[in-house]
Amino acid sequence: MTDLESKLTAEIANLLDDKKVDVFIAFKKAESPLHPQPAFFTESNQLGDFVYNSLCQNNLAAFIPRYPLSARIGMVVRGCENRAVNHLVVEKQHARENIFMIGVPCEGLVDWHKLVNRFGEEMIAVDEAKDEIMISYRDRQIRAPRQELLHDSCLRCVHPNPLSADVTIGELKPEGDPTLARTEVAAFSALDNAARHAWFRKEAERCIRCYACREACPMCYCTECFVDHGVPRWTESTVSPAGMRAWHIVRAFHQAGRCVSCGACERACPMDIKMTYLTEKLNEDMRTKYQFECGMDDKTQPPFAAFNLDDKNRFEL
Amino acid sequence: MIDHKPKIILFQCQWCLYSAEDQTWVDTQLPVNIHLVKVPCTGRINTLYVLNAVQGGADGVMISGCLPEQCHFKEGNLGARRQLDQFADFLDHIGYERNRVRFTWLDLQDRGRIQRDLAQFEADLTKMPKSEALATRVGGHHD
Ligand code: SF4
Ligand code: SF4
Ligand code: SF4
Repeated sequence: MTDLESKLTAEIANLLDDKKVDVFIAFKKAESPLHPQPAFFTESNQLGDFVYNSLCQNNLAAFIPRYPLSARIGMVVRGCENRAVNHLVVEKQHARENIFMIGVPCEGLVDWHKLVNRFGEEMIAVDEAKDEIMISYRDRQIRAPRQELLHDSCLRCVHPNPLSADVTIGELKPEGDPTLARTEVAAFSALDNAARHAWFRKEAERCIRCYACREACPMCYCTECFVDHGVPRWTESTVSPAGMRAWHIVRAFHQAGRCVSCGACERACPMDIKMTYLTEKLNEDMRTKYQFECGMDDKTQPPFAAFNLDDKNRFEL
Repeated sequence: MIDHKPKIILFQCQWCLYSAEDQTWVDTQLPVNIHLVKVPCTGRINTLYVLNAVQGGADGVMISGCLPEQCHFKEGNLGARRQLDQFADFLDHIGYERNRVRFTWLDLQDRGRIQRDLAQFEADLTKMPKSEALATRVGGHHD
């Protein structure tokens, strides 16, 4: 157990023993070291399986809308999860006073796709130091710089620190460089239409419509998704070209002004499909057109909900 | 250049044409390459309608609505503009050219403007290559 894990365990045990929360959402060990699982602790004696490391890939805020507003939920949050909680509060998916956040300044997540693509799947343990990842096989150990294995969303992360956690454990990190995400969007936009479209098709056509990206996203909490709608049927529900493209376009578009750049959607995808190049474009537009960044507080409405007559001059006449 | 008249889907807010002649023209005399979808307000235009038009092979989509402060439902057009404008930018991001989605915000005084704007749009679209991006149901079969 790492030092961080012991501190977190003690903190969580206190919350559960003092009945300050009804459930504490965190992670527990799973069969594969690559995929620690979300866990829902209700008693401190369940914490033996608790784990917290850079392979804990889910955005735990995705579970909040499943609980009634009255449930007192505890959570361990990184920067992006804290922002997701904030925005869920804006969208009235929970009451802020019924959420207790233990914040952890974030070193960035290891992208399991990158890990497996480079080192195979036979590893029996993955450990980490600050800047290094240690991958153990039965007979040997390999070390790799963390930077090379970080998920793309974490590489360009601007706000790794929890913004409004109730307690924070660990040293605050410096803010990330906001030009990184912008440069990536600009580079993609600079390609010609045909090249952008070819990239979009190449990614979308591998989709198996499993909806893991939807389940992983804290903002995808609709009780009935447009793709599951029977009457009217909004789009083809099979893996037809029209259906797959519509899914990718509309899933991303529904996050306009609501995406916290956590990359959980992309990490969840079994087909290693890129999709943050879609959501980051929307995030960038929300920043430039409306000076809005999702989740920075738990009050500000996103641009599509906050229109008003000051928009007059935005109409082209 | 395309060798046929561009296929245009016109989403028209039912309140935006104040002149009866203009509305009658739209209702009865639209050229066959322009397909009319009348809506109660631009605020009622789901982005999925636009996507379906595009996937159905539209060369262009025109959205006609009322100016700010003239919306029948007070602010349906304000929300619509933010969303639909962003959607057009987003489609451009994945290769469906931005100038294939056009807005015409009509004023109380406008007469004959919808005809002029549609004609201009058609002329502009004719100069562009055929829209391949995203069309999946052209001619009734899938690619
Ligand atoms: S985006 Fe990545 S680096 Fe940033 S807070 Fe989230 S998990 Fe950490
Ligand atoms: S769309 Fe992806 S990156 Fe954005 S909030 Fe949802 S899971 Fe996170
Ligand atoms: S997780 Fe990947 S394969 Fe599954 S629906 Fe999303 S994009 Fe498609």
